[in-house]
Parts: sequence; C-alpha cells; structure tokens
Amino acid sequence: MLVAASVAAFASGSTSPAPRPGSAPLPAGPKPAFRIPAPEPLGASSETRWAPVLRSVEARAAPGGRVITRLSARTPEATTNLVTITGRLRRGEGKAWVEVRLPVLPNGSTGWVPRGALGGYRTVETRLRVDRRRLTAELFKGRRRIFTTRVGIGQDRWPTPAGRFYVRVKLTRFASPMYGPLAFGLSARSAVLTDWPAGGFVGIHGTDRPELLPGRVSHGCIRMTNRAILELGKLMAVGTPVTVT
Amino acid sequence: MTDDPALPDVTLADLDRDGAIADAVGAVWGETRAGFLRTAALGGGALLGALSLPAPALGASKTDKSILNYALTLEYLQADFYTEAERLKTLKGPTARQARVVGAHERSHVKALRDVLGRSAVKRPSFNFRGTTESPGAFRRTAVAFEDLSVAAYAGQAPRIEAKEYLVAALGILSVEARHASWIRGLAGRRPAADAFDAPRPRDEVLDLVEQTRFIESGAGPRTTGRRSPRFTG
Repeated sequence: MLVAASVAAFASGSTSPAPRPGSAPLPAGPKPAFRIPAPEPLGASSETRWAPVLRSVEARAAPGGRVITRLSARTPEATTNLVTITGRLRRGEGKAWVEVRLPVLPNGSTGWVPRGALGGYRTVETRLRVDRRRLTAELFKGRRRIFTTRVGIGQDRWPTPAGRFYVRVKLTRFASPMYGPLAFGLSARSAVLTDWPAGGFVGIHGTDRPELLPGRVSHGCIRMTNRAILELGKLMAVGTPVTVT
Repeated sequence: MTDDPALPDVTLADLDRDGAIADAVGAVWGETRAGFLRTAALGGGALLGALSLPAPALGASKTDKSILNYALTLEYLQADFYTEAERLKTLKGPTARQARVVGAHERSHVKALRDVLGRSAVKRPSFNFRGTTESPGAFRRTAVAFEDLSVAAYAGQAPRIEAKEYLVAALGILSVEARHASWIRGLAGRRPAADAFDAPRPRDEVLDLVEQTRFIESGAGPRTTGRRSPRFTG
C-alpha cells in the first residue's frame, strides 16, 4: 500500500515524500545493562576426566566380562572414591560402560564399570610427572610447567612403582609429622609392601626429615619438603594424572 | 518430522517430550522410563531454595538480581552440557558444529551474567548429564529440550524485569536461545518453528523440570579432601 502510494506520487511528479504510518517520534530505547562478550570457544584440551564412584561396583575386563576387582564408594581415608576415565562409552549387556583406571595391582590396570555407578564427569588440566632417575616432580598445566621440586622416592627394596596413576585423595590437618602438613593419596600401590595398612597405597607428602631429600629414602612414597608440598597443594587437584618414570 | 503438541501440563514429560532424556538415562542407569519419571517426580524445591538467597544491591533491584541468577543457573546447565559434549568428542559433522558454536555462546552468557552479578552470582552446580552427552541422538534430543525450555524461561521472566536496561540485555539472549532452538530442532528432525506462539513458563515450573532430570547433583559434591592421618607407605 505504502509502496503503491509512493509510486503514484512519483508518477504524478510530486516531490513531497509520502507520509509514514506511525511516524510520531519514539523515545530512544534503553541501552542494555550489560553486554554479552564474544563467544568463548574451547581451547585445545589436555584435560583428564574423572568421576566419583557412587556405589560399590565390580570392575570388569570388558563390558559384562571377567571381574577384576570391586571398587568401593569410599577410599581407606573415608573420602569419596574416584576413578579417571580412559575410554569412551560402550554398550554391552544392556548397559552403558566406561573404561577407567583402577587403583589395584598390577599397577596400571584398567577395567570397565557401568556408567551408572559413577557420578558426573569432572575435569582437571594439570598433570604431574615424577622422574625417579632425576629425583624430580614437575606439575604441568597444559604445556606449561608450573611447579618443580626435588623429591625423595622409594629405596631399592621398596621401590616407588613406575606407571600411570592419578591423585585420589587430599589429606590435610592431620597429626602425623612424618607425612608433613599435607598428603596426596595416589592410585599407585607398592608391589612389595602388599600387607601395609590400608593396602600399601603410595602417597605424595611432606616430611619431618627434609635433610634426607633428595634421595632414595622412602618405603615407596614420594616425599618433598613441607614448603613444596604446601605449594603443590594449591596447584594440584584430585583427579590429576601422575606419571612416574 | 515430529509435531510438538501444546504443553497443557507441567511434568518432566513436557521437558522430555519424546522420552529422549529418559531413554538416554535409562540406557545408562538401567531405569525404565516410567521409573525415571516416578523418581523424578519426587524432586523439586531445593534448586529454587538455592536461588532465593537475598542478593546484595549492586545497582539492580532485588527482583532483577533474582531473575539474573535464575538465568545464570539455566546458562550454567546449558554451558556445561555443551562443553562436556564437545570435550567427549562423541559428536560428528553438523551436530558437532552446533555443539561447538552454541557451547561458545552459552559460556559467554555465563560470563556476562557472572560479571554483572559479581559476588551475588549463584555458585556453579555440579552436573551429571547421565549419558546424554555421550550419544549423538540423546544429545540432540536433550539439547532440543534445553533450548525450548530456555526460550520459554526467558519469555516467562521478561515481563517481570524491572529495569529496562536489564530487559534489553535479556532479550538479546532470548533471541539467540531461540536461534539455538531452531538450529538443534532442525538437526533432530523436528520443525525448526513448530508453533506460531511460544508459551512462556514461570520460574518455579522451569526449575522443577530441571531438578527432576537429576542432571544437577545434590549436595556439595564428592568429598575428596579428608583429615585422617595418612596410611600411605611413607
């Protein structure tokens, strides 16, 4: 209609513009109270996924296959047990399964558990590397090294096991000076001290004998100075993968 | 092509109209759809309670802050859903692209709302998407439910926003959420715009629906720090 009127006005030689409907002046609109920033794409990921164990569950060699071990919902330290995820979801026996790293001997074992036995996925961006030859521990975030220290490791008769593990628990404010002010519990276990209380799990902790560091001085645990373990405690979260070479 | 009926009643079945979420969860948890819905019906209330905390004044009225925190909760839900799906790399082709693009939008919505709310912002909950990020089909259908719900939620709150400056910003999000809904509906084989009118949903209804999915984990999450004396090998 408006176009037709404009065309007719043009054809008649009139130069006055056709009136616009609703041409009463409108007030300026309000400005938004906040602006949405540019979309945030995910960067390249070096994340590790982990999940809490919701209920006691059997871990199997394959979905529905041979039982490897039973995973408890609690650690020996009475915290929530957790596992890191090593594979994708797979269907089998009418359920969805995921492959996880297991805190059992032999070290490095993986197994399949029903996805429903685990809680929501969490991620960590850090990874810890312990070098038994150089007696060092280095924490990385992505490709960036954010922490390094010299460490004590297991004596030859009680070696710190090599392999790929994860941080399962963080303990603080306990009264055991030999472990320093803070201790991380790993999924690694001593292959020698199998009758050690609570199963012979290997930890990363402080010490009341800093003069022994660095060296091959422990029963398998990774020791560092109390200052170093407190710094690591601020940087490293549970679920962090730990590689011991 | 699936027709979407009107939504006369408020149940989890509304959010999960074709049973996509229930089916996805059932495949993981071994629950039947009926069992899932029955258990889900017991939920409700806690999430709303978490949002009813008084917000200190920072320019916005108490009502506006409450609405912004409500929006933030829905944005947390969506952002984490897309982020997890992208990280898991289970999606391919156009669906992967949708998750990548929309996830980036939802994360920027979260950032904007957190920035404007400052210390008044509600904490990010822990999520367990119960397998729906781990299967392309379940992902698409859950994303349709989330985006449709998000549009209805923003539409439900827009008339309640007191300051026009916040309303303008919220409308800027609402229209983008509607584009997201249209995009994922197309990928899921549904009509991109099924109806001529989108019914708004009130907050309590939306939060009850979200809570009933049990995607938001209850409590403070797993306790991974303790005070017991270590018994490591030393």
